[in-house]
Amino acid sequence: MNIKDILENNRLTLINTKGNLFNEISGMFSCDLLSHVMANADEGNILITILNNINVLGVASLRDLSAVIFPHNVKVNQLIIDKADELQIPLLSTQLSTAKTVILLSKMGVI
Amino acid sequence: MEPYSQDYKIERNDIANAGTVSSLTKRALKNRGLSREFVKQVTIGVYEAEINVVIHSYGGSVKVDITDDYAEITFMDKGPGIPNIEQALTAGFSTASSYAIENGFGAGMGLPNIQAVSDEMDLQSTSDGTYLRIKFNITENSYEH
Repeated sequence: MNIKDILENNRLTLINTKGNLFNEISGMFSCDLLSHVMANADEGNILITILNNINVLGVASLRDLSAVIFPHNVKVNQLIIDKADELQIPLLSTQLSTAKTVILLSKMGVI
Repeated sequence: MEPYSQDYKIERNDIANAGTVSSLTKRALKNRGLSREFVKQVTIGVYEAEINVVIHSYGGSVKVDITDDYAEITFMDKGPGIPNIEQALTAGFSTASSYAIENGFGAGMGLPNIQAVSDEMDLQSTSDGTYLRIKFNITENSYEH
């Protein structure tokens, strides 16, 4: 399963243009503490975080995460969008809460 | 392979560039054919240490050395130092500023994470600065098979 597949659900919106939608998804990781993400997320995981911060992209790139989803309709700043395009990391947004995003992805087969 | 050696400067509170040293080190390790797991361990250690210099110190420098036998990364900053190293190594203990916390750091996981992933860790600190050397041994098993 890749990012293109999960975007078929209309509750998830792509917010940058140059992310690699063919990134394979190995699972998901939800956390707002970057040290914890750094130490525990696995390669190919989708990160779900409300942390609207450039360092999210640093961690996503260093750990080869497949995408970042911002729940709660977090308004992502342009600096992050530009950086994500540079790194070709897909950024997604949703109005759902973090927990409901996890449930949604789980129903789609992402564990 | 030829030994790899690089020096970098880290500026105080330069959150936007935090991760640059880790990213370049990760690339150098991958180019040497080291395994994903080995690269992951080093990347975690270097990133955490890099963040520590950015969010806790007045700035500093990093030296990255990679040979066929080890990857060794040495951080030196200009202070203010760690008053109590034992406390700093306790998971969850933090003296981070609200600035660091707002940026997703400061949960007291940095040094414990570094200690967990590295083969050797040497940490010394005075009010003039902190010295941190982390070493990862490279063996036959560290390579992609």
